[in-house]
Amino acid sequence: MGITDKEAIKQVLTGDRDAYRILMDRHFQFVFRVAFRITGNQSDAEDVAQEAFLKAYHKLDTFRQDATFTTWINRIAMNIAINLMERRNRDLTHHASGIAEDSNFARDTRQDTRQVPDHKAGPERLLLDRETITIRQAAMSTLTPMERTAFTLRHMEDFGIPQIADALNIPANSAKQAVFRAVAKLRRALAPLAGGLRG
Amino acid sequence: MTHPQVHFTEEELIAYQLHDSTDEKAIRRHLETCTPCAELSESIAETLRVFSAEPVPEANLEHNWWRLRGSLPVLKPAPRRLRWLDWRWITPTAALALTALLVLDITGVRLHPAVPANDVAIKSQGPLTDTPVDPSSVTTHLDTAERLLTEVNHTTGRLDPTTRESAHTLLLHNAVYIQTARQQGNFAQASVLESLGRVLTTLDHEPEATEEGWHIRLSMNTNGLLFDIRILRQNDHRQ
Repeated sequence: MGITDKEAIKQVLTGDRDAYRILMDRHFQFVFRVAFRITGNQSDAEDVAQEAFLKAYHKLDTFRQDATFTTWINRIAMNIAINLMERRNRDLTHHASGIAEDSNFARDTRQDTRQVPDHKAGPERLLLDRETITIRQAAMSTLTPMERTAFTLRHMEDFGIPQIADALNIPANSAKQAVFRAVAKLRRALAPLAGGLRG
Repeated sequence: MTHPQVHFTEEELIAYQLHDSTDEKAIRRHLETCTPCAELSESIAETLRVFSAEPVPEANLEHNWWRLRGSLPVLKPAPRRLRWLDWRWITPTAALALTALLVLDITGVRLHPAVPANDVAIKSQGPLTDTPVDPSSVTTHLDTAERLLTEVNHTTGRLDPTTRESAHTLLLHNAVYIQTARQQGNFAQASVLESLGRVLTTLDHEPEATEEGWHIRLSMNTNGLLFDIRILRQNDHRQ
């Protein structure tokens, strides 16, 4: 059986930086996965995971021995990912035009898909896939980074509310409200497409 | 046959669909007889299906390790510091003091004199740009502030450069939101944002050697402010 996380941390702190690889092997994929859920793309997720591990390395002497490394590194990564998304969202002009273009595209393609004949199943499938991705992205962009994180962790990663609250360093009720707000916003964003849904 | 006219709220149905409801059986029974609630519940379920989990690509661990390794200095054991006083023990005391202040406020004793709307100077560095055009931005701003304050509240010693930079950026944006809130006549929001501005100014001007008193003042201000921010956001959500 290999050494524990805490033993690996002790080795790093006494000058064995390669012992950090043990922690990377165990936790990098999970940190990357969570970062991917928040940022929505592989390149950003890798950058976030890298930065989180680098930051954690420099703060390793402040790591509390009663905590778990995975919770700690995840919290660092989430903060970095959320800050990254907030910085991006601050470019409001770009953000707004992106949504407008996406919405127009979604409307246009929706009309198109109704007219595509059955014998063109291949292109139709591609179009539908593209449309779905565009609509999903446009709807997701209506969420704040905090809401997006809480929602993806709850719904896609099956985190419990206490886990989300702990990871985001916020009270459980705030985490729960963030998830509810996110689902309500997403439902409203999709409502014009679904038709007949209660508002 | 008539079904009960009391409907479940959207939040209750979201909790039900996410399996976070404490009243799952009652909701399920209700949905069998109430068409509007069943439709809303199905609409929520449909939304969740649209956003079902997509596969996550595998990260290249080897590549990432070697990319990171070059930036890792060899660490030396830090000399043990005497930490006979941890400022976090003061948090319960601050919470008690805050409760007392809230009670005074609720019972009618005014803690802050009313300030005319256009008679307050913004002591921060002033707005960076024009009024924000995205109405959801203030929600994001409050989200960010809440996270930053919570993090600061759980930090000992000096703040790291990233946190200070975040505080500085928030401070600049905060000035814009204060102005917007005042112009819109939303004085409750303006008041909370002003308090936030004061705390952010404190963070932005953290003394070189952080003494105990600085942390006590910060903790007291931050705890109350976090409470106000959460109330404000909840009110906004209900509107």
